[in-house]
Amino acid sequence: MPFLRITYGTFGQLRSFATSSALGKRVKSFAVYRWNPDEPDKKPYTQNFEVDLDDCAPMVLDALLKIKNEIDPTLTFRRSCREGVCGSCAMNIDGVNTLACISHIDQNLSKPSKIYPLPHMYVVKDLVPDLSNFYRQYQSIEPWLQRDNEAAKGKETQLLQDVEDRAKLDGLYECVLCACCSTSCPSYWWNGDKYLGPAVLMQAYRWIIDSRDDATGKRLSKLKDTYSVYRCHTIMNCTRTCPKGLNPGRAIAQIKTLLSGMVKKQPPIMDPAGLQKQAASN
Amino acid sequence: MAFSMFLRAPACTSKLFSQQIMRIATQQAMKPVAAERMLSSVLPTQHTILKSNSPPILNAVRSFRTSPALLQEEKAHDHSKLWVIEKLTSAVLVPLIPICLILPNKMFDAALAILVTAHSFWGLEAIAVDYVRSSIFGPFIPKLAIALVYIISIATLGGLFYLISNDVGLSNAIKQLWSVKSKQVA
Repeated sequence: MPFLRITYGTFGQLRSFATSSALGKRVKSFAVYRWNPDEPDKKPYTQNFEVDLDDCAPMVLDALLKIKNEIDPTLTFRRSCREGVCGSCAMNIDGVNTLACISHIDQNLSKPSKIYPLPHMYVVKDLVPDLSNFYRQYQSIEPWLQRDNEAAKGKETQLLQDVEDRAKLDGLYECVLCACCSTSCPSYWWNGDKYLGPAVLMQAYRWIIDSRDDATGKRLSKLKDTYSVYRCHTIMNCTRTCPKGLNPGRAIAQIKTLLSGMVKKQPPIMDPAGLQKQAASN
Repeated sequence: MAFSMFLRAPACTSKLFSQQIMRIATQQAMKPVAAERMLSSVLPTQHTILKSNSPPILNAVRSFRTSPALLQEEKAHDHSKLWVIEKLTSAVLVPLIPICLILPNKMFDAALAILVTAHSFWGLEAIAVDYVRSSIFGPFIPKLAIALVYIISIATLGGLFYLISNDVGLSNAIKQLWSVKSKQVA
């Protein structure tokens, strides 16, 4: 025990030495976009905040929370899970759309970190973009399982899906709808009212290729106009920026091949209604 | 060019068709309101009851109305076949260009002229549609931009065919450009 106490003291001293002012405080400045709807005459501006990195956890969201707690409580941004599974804290950090909670603070102290809301979106306040158009587009693809023959109420059974068919959904279902990809897409900037954008199209594809879904034809025929899908010019900013490492560009390409009719959706390996039929025959 | 216009023609009719459907749908949607108005003039007491009942129903309908966003007037084209043709054109151009340069003749020149013009037409059209959009330039200028793309493409095709029929031909002209350069270097 005394030995432990000695080592504790030593490590404590080492730590305090490494972070002491003798070596200079590691102060990082953050240039944060500010705009307040209650002051409509004031133009948007960037405000500089200084944060001591030794007194702050490693992620950009931690720095933002520190600023909000200790310097300026009026700073507004969305956050929830702080571990990259909710998609709330999507913002443009040093020119890249990403989630603030899973991106490390740039350790280069000479340059300020620039933090902006998602580009080419209407701003509600500070770092909060208006995502209502994005959500409306998501709603328009009907993102739920659709069956031709719904089971009778009270007689629902589990739908069957082969492991191989399930594997087709990997890389699609993980999307948290943070809108990083859609707001990095020039086509979405210019025609966001009519082009659905990578995030929504990837989810459309997720439901199109689901072996249990029967509405494939309907889903595809909704997308075949000039704007919904075909404004994608394979710029691939979406895939490059995705904080979850997904590939929306590939999903859009798959939708295009399915729309062309050259590739057909494979029939399900396992009959999704297998259990239902079994129950009916018993 | 003519082919792409031909492809667009059925799309125009379907656009009109979908507009007509939307009109009928909205008229039907309007009818209950009109009926309610008539009722209110006849039976003012019942109107208050109707009024108190109607908002939740209206809200329920509104929250499920997802399709009109996708049925906007410009959105009825079927672009999927055109996309295949665009990609085929690009793919065919890859072997066609060297073949034309190796074996210059009028048939290959004509094919090259048509495909190059079609390829550049779709490229220019995409630029016009993407950047010259009505939300910024108003209703007239985007149409002008598209018209300009058509004019440029027609002029290009005409010029190339003039070169093929009345002059040395397309691939020979390209070869001459190179030979001029080599002479200058020498």
